[in-house]
Amino acid sequence: MTTLLLALLAVALAGPVPWLLARTPALRFTPRAAMVLWQSVALAAVLAALGAGLALATTGLLAGKGNGDGKEWAGWYVVAGLALLLTLVVLGRLLLSAHLVGSRLRALRRRHRDLVDLLDEHPSDEWAGGRRSLRVVPGEVPMAYCLPGVGRARVVLSDAAYRGLGERERGAVLAHERAHLRARHDLVLEAFTTLRRAFPAVVSSQGALAEVGLLVEVLADRAARANYDTACVLRALEGMLDAPVPHATLGAGGELSARIEVLLDERDRRPQAVLLYAVSAAVLLLPTVLVVLPWLTSLRG
Amino acid sequence: MSPRRTGLGELERAVMEALWDAPTDTSGAAGWMTVREVHGVLSAKREIAYTTVMTVLDRLTRKDLVRREREGRAYRYRPADDRGAMTAEAMRGALDQVASSDRTAALVAFVGEASDADRAALREALARLE
Repeated sequence: MTTLLLALLAVALAGPVPWLLARTPALRFTPRAAMVLWQSVALAAVLAALGAGLALATTGLLAGKGNGDGKEWAGWYVVAGLALLLTLVVLGRLLLSAHLVGSRLRALRRRHRDLVDLLDEHPSDEWAGGRRSLRVVPGEVPMAYCLPGVGRARVVLSDAAYRGLGERERGAVLAHERAHLRARHDLVLEAFTTLRRAFPAVVSSQGALAEVGLLVEVLADRAARANYDTACVLRALEGMLDAPVPHATLGAGGELSARIEVLLDERDRRPQAVLLYAVSAAVLLLPTVLVVLPWLTSLRG
Repeated sequence: MSPRRTGLGELERAVMEALWDAPTDTSGAAGWMTVREVHGVLSAKREIAYTTVMTVLDRLTRKDLVRREREGRAYRYRPADDRGAMTAEAMRGALDQVASSDRTAALVAFVGEASDADRAALREALARLE
């Protein structure tokens, strides 16, 4: 019973739930709460999957022990063994994926850090104090990005972005990038990249990554808006679009439209945020209380 | 610790400049330079120890910014790429990131793809606010 419940939960949290979340744009209006919800759903899915495997393994072991009949005995041990093996495979895949994603990201960032440090043209006396992480590299295309890392984070602007933006718009871009660095958005993205690498067949993992990617942008936009104002952030976005963007897609509005919509939003969204926080907590706590605790108690008894 | 504060970053740049400005070989690529030659270029402008130049070249080699080759009993060095190619790499990484849906979180670009509808929405929003 426990196995079945946990397995169903794992499937729901890995498939339909993220699918639904990714198709609920209203969540973006409370980006922080939405981010918490995404993380708790992902964590609960992994825990439920591992829990289902362990539950089946222990059920098999107990049934095997309690039964005198030789044939049944062997059968249950096979079930237990397979369940345990499956659990270990899931866990191993996750750990391997985390390792691969992590080392690849760190290598890429190290390389970029070396390059931008070398190519930096930013006059170092300008903007003294707390601005040491800024690098300006030659480039005709307006471009801004950040390289996360404790103690070696960099905010990189292309020369075109640095010169092309007004002082306040540049400030908004920097505030946006610094918000990414401060809140360690890269870690969240890394976790969801790991999930997608580990379980690419779960279609929702791609949608989850894309949506979480949008949420971190929305959060950083909000941080910029807090220091400047909505119009300033919008002008910064416009300035960064000035040059032709490679691979620009035609048709329906994408990520940028969603960011603009949230930037313009002035409504009080606290009730929605509270609801999402409550759901996030429930997603993690309810399975523990209703399924795992009774199961553990039954094991002891 | 910012490299700018330690001065090491500044030295690395000076060494790279010297290598980039090295006389080209027959194939048009920057020629090889020995530590002594690099030191000669740098010491024209500043006081710098031979061993410091060696250390910096070693660091740059480990960062894959410089190639090293043994020549007799000494090493000689040349830039892994010219300045333009390295600049392109720094920007290309960011552009690739923007263009692909495979967001790997190595870099987080300020703004990604923008469709025509996105641009229209942006203009409309600005018009409404200003």
